[in-house]
Amino acid sequence: MNQPPATTPHEHTLEYRGVSFASPGVEAPALSSISLAVHAGERLGILGPNGGGKSTLLKLTLGLLDLQAGEIRVCGRSPREARREGMVGYVPQKVDAELAFPLSVRQVVTMPLVVNLAPWKRVPGETLRRADEALSMVGASDLAERPIGALSGGQLQRVMIARAIAPRPRLLLLDEPTVGIDVAGQRRFAELLQSLRERLGVTIVVVSHDIRTIAAGCDRVACLARTLHFHDAPSGLSPQVLGEVFRHDIAEVFGDVHVDAHAAATCHVDAGDHAHHHCCDHHGAPPPAGVTLNVSAKAAGAAAPDHKEPPRANA
Amino acid sequence: MRTLEYLGDPIMRGLFLPGIVTGVAIAIVCACLAVLVVLKRMSFIGQGVSHAAFGGMGVAAVLGLTGASLSAAQAVGQFSIILSFCLAAAMIVAWMSARRGTSADTAIGIVLVAAMTLGAILMHAAFKRQGSQGPGWESVLFGAILSVGWSDAIVAAIVSLAILVVLWWERRKLIFWAFDETSAPAFGAPPRSPRIVLMVLLCLSIVTAMKLAGVVLATAVLVLPGATALAMSKRLSHVIAISVGAALVSLVIGLVASMELDWPPGACIVGAMTLLYALARLAGLAREGGMAGARAEA
Repeated sequence: MNQPPATTPHEHTLEYRGVSFASPGVEAPALSSISLAVHAGERLGILGPNGGGKSTLLKLTLGLLDLQAGEIRVCGRSPREARREGMVGYVPQKVDAELAFPLSVRQVVTMPLVVNLAPWKRVPGETLRRADEALSMVGASDLAERPIGALSGGQLQRVMIARAIAPRPRLLLLDEPTVGIDVAGQRRFAELLQSLRERLGVTIVVVSHDIRTIAAGCDRVACLARTLHFHDAPSGLSPQVLGEVFRHDIAEVFGDVHVDAHAAATCHVDAGDHAHHHCCDHHGAPPPAGVTLNVSAKAAGAAAPDHKEPPRANA
Repeated sequence: MRTLEYLGDPIMRGLFLPGIVTGVAIAIVCACLAVLVVLKRMSFIGQGVSHAAFGGMGVAAVLGLTGASLSAAQAVGQFSIILSFCLAAAMIVAWMSARRGTSADTAIGIVLVAAMTLGAILMHAAFKRQGSQGPGWESVLFGAILSVGWSDAIVAAIVSLAILVVLWWERRKLIFWAFDETSAPAFGAPPRSPRIVLMVLLCLSIVTAMKLAGVVLATAVLVLPGATALAMSKRLSHVIAISVGAALVSLVIGLVASMELDWPPGACIVGAMTLLYALARLAGLAREGGMAGARAEA
C-alpha cells in the first residue's frame, strides 16, 4: 500500500464542494449543498440524527456511491482513486462480517494490505509486520492469533480500527463508532483516537448521532441533517443548533420542542484554540418549542462529558 | 469383494474409470467451494441452480444431446446448454431478489420449481418423440456413474481445473468479500465481481457434479465437506484441506458401498459425506464436553 506523501499542515485532506445526493426514486434529497473542508491532521465530528444523511456522506466519501452534484476530493483525488490507493481507512458502524470465518485476527488485519496483491505473489514479511504494528497501536497485539469469532465487542472494534489503519491511510472514517459502548469504553475509545492521530498524523472524521462521541476530542463539529449546520469548534454546539439538527427526532418523541434559553448559557464546550465559523445561518431558524434541552458538554481533549446527561439524539 | 472384481476386470474398469475420474475432480472442486458456500450461507441458491440444471437437461434432451454415448462435441454442447440454463437461473434469482417485495428465498423457490417443471415437460416430450424410456428419473435425480463416459470425464477434468485456477487467482478478493461483504469495497476490494465469480463457479461445478451425483445431490456435495471441515478446525488453510480430504474419503467410501451393495453411487457418496459430518460434529461435542469438564475440575 502507498506510503502517505508528506502534507503541509493546512492542506485539505478532504473537501466537499456543493455535494448533493438523492436516492433513486426518492424525491427528497438525502444531502443538499454540502460544502466543507477538513484540514490535514484534523479531527472532525459529524453529528446528526439517524436518516440525516451521515452514512450517505460516508459512502460518497468512500466512492461507493456516485455523486449527483458537486465534488469531493480526498487528498486531491477522486474518492474512488483515493480508496484504491489505500488513502482512506474505514471503520464500519456495525460489523457485518461473517465472524464464523476461520480466520485469525492477524489475517483479518492483513486483508486490506493484500487484497490487490498479484495472485502469484506471497504476502511479504513487511506486510505482516505492518499488520502487527497496527494491532499494537490499538493495544490488541495479544489478540493476533485469536480466531476473529472469539472476540468481545470492544476487542472486535479495536481490531476493525487496526484493519483500517494497517494500510496507513491519510484519512480515517469512523461510522457511529461508540454505539453500544459504555461511558468508560467511550473514554478509552476517544483516547485511542487521540493517540492514533499523534502517532500517524492521520485526519479523522467521526460520524455519530451521539453528542458524547463527537464532543470527546474533536477539533471541529459539523452538524448534518440533510444540509450542513457547521461549527468550527464543539463550543458552537448550542442547544438551538442541536434542537434544529435533531428537530425531527425530538419531535417524534416529545411532540413540540422548545429549547430553554437557560440551557444555552450552561452549554460549555472547551476544545482549545478555535474560531467560530458558520457555513449556514442556523440561528435564523426559530428554536423548536416544547422540550427543554439542558445541554452541558465538556470536550477537553479526550474526556467524555463530565456532568449532566447530554441529550441522546435517538432517545 | 465385488469392488476388487470390478476393478480387476478390464471391461468393468473401463466402465467405472471415467466416473471415478469425474468423481475425484468434482470432490476436489466442490470441497473448496463448499467452504465459501457454507460460510456465505449460499446453500439454498446452490439448490436453486442445481434444479435449474434440470430444465437445461430438458432442453438438451429435446436437441438430442442425452445419454451415455455422446461424442466430445456433443458432451460440450450438452454441458454448455445446461450451464447457460443455470447461469440464467442465477441471474433471474438475483434480479428478482433485488426488487422490492420478493425475498431471495422466494425467488429461489420459484425458479427452482419453474425450472424443474420445464425440465420434466421437455424430457417427457423428447423421450416420447424418440420412443425411448429416457435416462430414468433415478439417474437424473441421484446420478449414475455408468452414464459417465470419457467425454464427460474429460470435460469434468478440464472444467474442474479451470475452477481451481480461478479460485486460486481470485482467492484474496473472494475471501475478503466473503468475510466482510459490506466493508470490503471500502478497502479497495471490488464490490460486485466476487459474487458473480462465485456464482459462475458454483454453476460450473453443479453442472459438472450432476452427472455423478444427480440434480438433487449435487447441492449436497457443495455443502457437506465444507460443513464437516468447519466443525473440525478454525484455520482456513486447515479447513480447506480437511474439506478436500472429507470429500475424497466420502467418494471412496461411497463408490465402494455402491459397488458392494448395488446402491446408487450418488446417494452412497452423499451418505458417506453426511456420516463424516455427523462424526465431526460428535467429535466436536465430545471435545467441548471434555474441555468443559477440565475447566470444572480446575
